[in-house]
Parts: sequence; structure tokens; C-alpha cells
Amino acid sequence: MAPLEDLEREYPIVDSNFRLFCASHGIFTDEDFLVHDLYALEGFAGQGYAPEKLKQGIKQVLSIIENRHRPWLNGLELLEDAHLNKRTLSTGCERIDVLLQGGLREGHVIELVGPSSSCKTQVCLKAASHVAGNYLGKVIYFDTGNSFSPKRIVQFLSLSSDHSTTEVNKTIQQVMSSIVCHSVFDIFTLLNMLHQLMNDLKSQIDCQVKMLIIDSLSSLIAPVLGGGGTHGHALMVTAGFFLKELAHEYNICVMVTNHMVGGEAGVSKPALGESWKSIPHVRLLLSRNYSSNGSFITVLKHPCLATGKSTESLVI
Amino acid sequence: MTSAFSWIKADETAAQALVRILTERPFLVLPAPLHRLPLRVGNVVEVVGPSPSAKTLILIQAAINCILPKEWKGVHYGGLERAVMFIDLDCRFDVSSLSRALQRRIIEANGLRSSLKGNVNEIDKELFAACMGRFLYTRCYNSFEFLATLKTLHHRLQQEKEKRGSAVYMLLIDSIGAFYWMDRALPSSSTGNNNRKSLSLQTVVETVVHEIQRLMAVHPILVLATKSAAFGDKQSTTEVIRKRSDEKMLASRGPQNTSHRDFMPSVWQSFVSHRLLLRTSDGISKHQNHPTFSTEWLLPSLKSSEHFTVDDDGVLVTI
Repeated sequence: MAPLEDLEREYPIVDSNFRLFCASHGIFTDEDFLVHDLYALEGFAGQGYAPEKLKQGIKQVLSIIENRHRPWLNGLELLEDAHLNKRTLSTGCERIDVLLQGGLREGHVIELVGPSSSCKTQVCLKAASHVAGNYLGKVIYFDTGNSFSPKRIVQFLSLSSDHSTTEVNKTIQQVMSSIVCHSVFDIFTLLNMLHQLMNDLKSQIDCQVKMLIIDSLSSLIAPVLGGGGTHGHALMVTAGFFLKELAHEYNICVMVTNHMVGGEAGVSKPALGESWKSIPHVRLLLSRNYSSNGSFITVLKHPCLATGKSTESLVI
Repeated sequence: MTSAFSWIKADETAAQALVRILTERPFLVLPAPLHRLPLRVGNVVEVVGPSPSAKTLILIQAAINCILPKEWKGVHYGGLERAVMFIDLDCRFDVSSLSRALQRRIIEANGLRSSLKGNVNEIDKELFAACMGRFLYTRCYNSFEFLATLKTLHHRLQQEKEKRGSAVYMLLIDSIGAFYWMDRALPSSSTGNNNRKSLSLQTVVETVVHEIQRLMAVHPILVLATKSAAFGDKQSTTEVIRKRSDEKMLASRGPQNTSHRDFMPSVWQSFVSHRLLLRTSDGISKHQNHPTFSTEWLLPSLKSSEHFTVDDDGVLVTI
């Protein structure tokens, strides 16, 4: 929220006289303008002292507001953006790639939901190692439960390549240096770090980020939910929209995990439930297959694919 | 005297008025499941349903009907050739789903003709580009961006009208309750200043309704909005249950004991002129492994209910 005084430096029309007029109508910040009827305000301006200048000021604020929202794009411009900037990243697991018709899309928020030991973290680690190794980009990994395992990544890398040891070591060096892991233990730290990441991306300090993984997001949000208050939900939705903005505006693939908790009548349900459902683009349900010691993945939601499709058992 | 006479003189004849209204406010047949009722400009239609229930897909299908021309190079498409504006509050719109659905519609319309002529149908690039150009899109990540978009929409609509020669026909909002929880937690900053409007869910929604109303007074548009049927916070839910426990006991014997509970402020609820409820229907056997949905018009309430499913290609199929 910017007070109107801040606008004066850039736009001299927003002078003390104009601000006094605004204050008399209860407008102190530019957000107050948004909930005000500007036509009625213009009417009031016409009655007062120096109406022309006040009307000019209102017009100026309106044009400032116009820059606040994102531009209107037509369908062709959208298609062009999608073709140029939104690539599909392979996860490194062939079955997931086939299921998702190529892999994970940049600009999407992908949620993995499943009970414990259903390979959520394994899919995250695998995707991180594959993206870091094959797309020359940075992977940011927010680890909330100390489950990030560099050893496992080395394992993935040495399994997937059939080159000599020196070359494998070189790839490991390169992949390890492009995965940045942060330990995060509460939602406020997470929001803070997302803010920082957004600022870095905005000022183009860090433009090589290809993927952002939060394992697990639900363990940060679930503690603040419940109790009948609204703040837990507000924090959850704020974090969700933050992730969507990061994903879309900076062409990052965001992957989060969601654990399962016991629900009514013993049926387990996702820890982030109804109000979270509208946040992710893609929801994948991982369930354990005890007979073959692997997991299978079902599409719960996808913008292009029909729901209910699933992979055969996959071992990671 | 002359001025008084000119005042009571007729502005236009009925025939002229009819021609004007038919060009300014043409009637568009919307695809299923919105086809039951005649929806015209000036209506505010709300599509309510759980996630996922193909709400966005319904909006996209409606948009395609609007952006396609009525006829193009001798092929009948049955569209309006008017622009649509899509405000994405959920930020999940995927342009490829629009382009694929549009391509499929063009092929289908051509298929009728090419089966007679026997030539291989290929998509007319020019037609496709013209249609995509009529689809305008913006996204908002919070209520203030949404308000800023609405505040400046009047200018934008006018620009489009001048540029294209025809006005925007439809405003699509997906989905209206996206910022509900964020707005409920807005800090109340009104302390000390009595005449300052406090920023809250109530004022934000009031302003949204007010701005759309003002737009509709000047520009004849049809508003289609989706809303996810989430439930409010637990406290109010239990209150409602307590209050309604007696009613519910009676109602539970009936076929539908799950009533739709609106969480948006009443100012939005009363602004809506038509409301369509979507449900996942488990009673009916799954249609080739795809979940089926049932529709019900709540406002105005219609007895008939329809079922549809979404197939692998993302096409709505009514059953």
C-alpha cells in the first residue's frame, strides 16, 4: 500500500491540494482509490475549488491504476508466449512423462498428493536431478522435513548414465552446483523466501531458475489451518497465488507435495483439502502398490488431460 | 412550442428499434449445458461446482461459440463473430486447451462439407487467427489487480469497439471467489478515520459488483462467472447445521439433502441473474471410466437435470 505522498515525486499533479481533497473523502493510499467510485469523486471535484486540477489528478491516478494490472493479451499472443516460453520438462521417469504427455510444463503448479512412503520425495528428487542435469537451469529446493538427500541424487545420476567415472563425476559436480536447497520450517519463512526469489527474478539477478520444489508444502500450512480462524486459509491461498505468479511470469515449473491425514470414517484425505484444490494446475495422486514395491500415479486434475488416467506401477 | 413537440416526437420506429437491438444485442445459442435457458446480454450467469467439474471448459466452449463467425467461405459455423474478454482470477487458464477446442470445432464444421466434396480438411489458418484474435485475456493475482482491471475496463471496451467495429459480447470471469480467503483476512485499516472505507471482503465485492453494473449500463455484455463450491469456515458451517438441523432431518428423506451454500457476500448473490449448479454424480455408473457430472438450474429453478462427461480430448459430452 503506497501512500499518495509517494506518488508526488513521480507525478507532480498529486500535490498537497489534491491529497487534501482525497483525504476529505477518506482516500489515503492508491488502494483506497480502487474501492472508491471515481465517477462520484469526479463529481465532487467539479463542485470544489480548482476543479480542473483535481480532475486532472483523478485522471492521472486512473492511468497509474491502469499500469497496475496485467495487460490484455489476445489469443494469438497467448499462443506465442506458450510456444516460446512454456516448455515441457521431462521428469526423468518415463512412465510419468508418458502419462503427462511429455512431462511437466513450465508455468504450472504441480501437486503430488499421497500417503507417506508413496514416493513423493523420490519423484521430487528424481525430477530435480533430471531437470538440473538436462536443462542447464537452476533448481530451487525448499526442504521442510530434512528429507532432501544428495546421496540419492548421486545415485540417480550414476544409474542413468553409462559413461566413464570421470564423466559421471563431472555431471554430478554440475548437477549438484545447480540444485540449491533451503531448509524451511514455517510458512512465514517460506513466504519471505518466495518474496525474495520474486524480487531477484524481477531484477534479473537469477534468471536461470527452471524449477521450484517444495517438499512438503502441506507440513508448513497444515499447522496454521483450522481452529475456525480465517488466517490459516488466507496464508495458504496467498502462498498458492505467489507460486502461480512465480510459475507463470518467470516460466518456472513449481512442484509441491501434500501429505494425507486421517479423515472422516477412517478414509484418508489430503492435508490441504477443499480450498486448496483450486490452486494447483495439475494434481497427481500417488498411491503405494504393495505387491510390486512401487507406486502408481493417477491424474486427479490436469488442464488438458482427462481425469482418472493412471500409470502402471512405477519403481523409482 | 417546437421544442416541446420535438421532445415528444418518436425517436425511432419499432422496426428501427428491432434492427438496432438485433445488431447490438444479437442472441447467441450457448453450448450445453448452458443451452436450456435463453441467455442474453445483461444477464449475469454463475456456474457453481466443485473442483474439478469442467467449469472452465464450459466458459471456453461458450467463448468459442462467440468468437467463431456465422459463416466463413461458405461454411456455416453458427458463431457471432464478436470478441470476448476473459478475466482469469484462478490463473490456471491454458491457451492450448482453447486452441485445440477451437481447431476441433472448425474441423467439425468443415467435416460436414468436406464429406460431400471429399477433400481432406485442413484448418483455415486465417480463420483460426481471426478467431483467436477475438479472445482477449488477462489474469489477476489479487483483488486489487482485479479492481484495477475493472476500473479501466470501460476504456478498454471502447477501444475494442472502435478497433473492431463491433463491441465485446461476453465477459468471462474464472472464478469469482478466488480471493475470498485473502480478502477475508485483509487488515482493517479504518481505525481513527471515520469516513475512510475499510478494505474488506464486503467493500471489495461491493466495488466489483458496482463496476460491472456500471459497465453493463453502457456496454451491452453477457457476464459468465464460475465459482467453486467451497465451504465457508468451520464455525459458520456448524452454526448453519445447528440452525438447520430440524429442516435437514426432514429434508434428508428427500432425494437431495446436500443444499448449495453460498459463501459470497449477498451483494454478489443478488447480482447474479442465472445460476447453474454442477455436481459430480456417483449414482450413475461411470461413463467409460470418466467422471460424470449432473447439472441443475438453481436460478431460475428448473426441474430437469442433465448429465455430461468430459472425454479424453476434453470435449463435453451430454449423456
